[in-house]
Amino acid sequence: MAKAFKYGVKGISGFLEPAERELLRGLLGDVISMLEPQEAAHQDPLAALIGLDMDVQEPTDSALRRLLPNVSRNDDAASLEFRQLTERSLRETKIGALKAAALDLDKDEILLNDTGARHWSMALNDIRLVLAERLDIRDEEDADHVHQMQDWSQAEDVGSYLALVYNFTTWLQESLMQAMLQSLETSR
Amino acid sequence: MTLSVAIDQDTREGTRTGTEQSASSLTAPDIPWNLVIWNDPVNLMSYVSYVFQSYFGYPESKANKLMMEVHKKGRSIVAHGSKEQVEQHAVAMHGFGLWATVEKASGGSGKGKGNTGNSGSGKGNRG
Repeated sequence: MAKAFKYGVKGISGFLEPAERELLRGLLGDVISMLEPQEAAHQDPLAALIGLDMDVQEPTDSALRRLLPNVSRNDDAASLEFRQLTERSLRETKIGALKAAALDLDKDEILLNDTGARHWSMALNDIRLVLAERLDIRDEEDADHVHQMQDWSQAEDVGSYLALVYNFTTWLQESLMQAMLQSLETSR
Repeated sequence: MTLSVAIDQDTREGTRTGTEQSASSLTAPDIPWNLVIWNDPVNLMSYVSYVFQSYFGYPESKANKLMMEVHKKGRSIVAHGSKEQVEQHAVAMHGFGLWATVEKASGGSGKGKGNTGNSGSGKGNRG
């Protein structure tokens, strides 16, 4: 049984069972592999170095589109241009947070400083965004419906299993956010 | 956004098992742009408030007010400034997984001079 994250003198601490670590490691790995850019063989190495990607397109996968959204609501050309300039580094930012969280899972005790906690909050959030797309959570009503699913003995198909996993990561992120908000308040 | 889940129980059953392009220079520099955050059913209210506090440096009351506006009205303008500034904020918000867009402020140059979105040190930026 996981314990809620707690803010204390040493930082933010958490505890996860081995099976929960394994689950999270898998989820983190899934999101990392979604975000890892496909290296085009003909890519201009200088452009890659400074983070440009002139071949980039809006993702076709809805979950990836949620992780890497358009910057303009109604100007597709402006969104694409922005994507060319920023998407590569955005992917790297996200992968960095996801990998940092995965590394923390290797230690027996999860103890997070401010940066580590921020990485965890971003990583858990990205996991939830992807799961929510797979679960078709489009509005608050859908979210409430998924939230009803709390009993692991009810997990009989992929959908209900995903819902339980989503609820577990939601609970974990919420407990982390409470600890992080407490830490923010203390540092004021 | 989704409401906080109850975490009163201490434990629970877990799992057993350089952004400008030439076109923008046509925009007069004093025309303000807005950074808009859109509601979605996934992001936690606590997380959104944390991002507003830690990234923009907003006090808790302001962060919560903006967060509630996103939640209730579907969107909120959380910062404004030059196009470059709001674009930089947008990419940081995307890093956090918030659904952010930029838009030219309506009503012309009279609005949004306050540049409130630029106060944070950006310590939450670019994890």
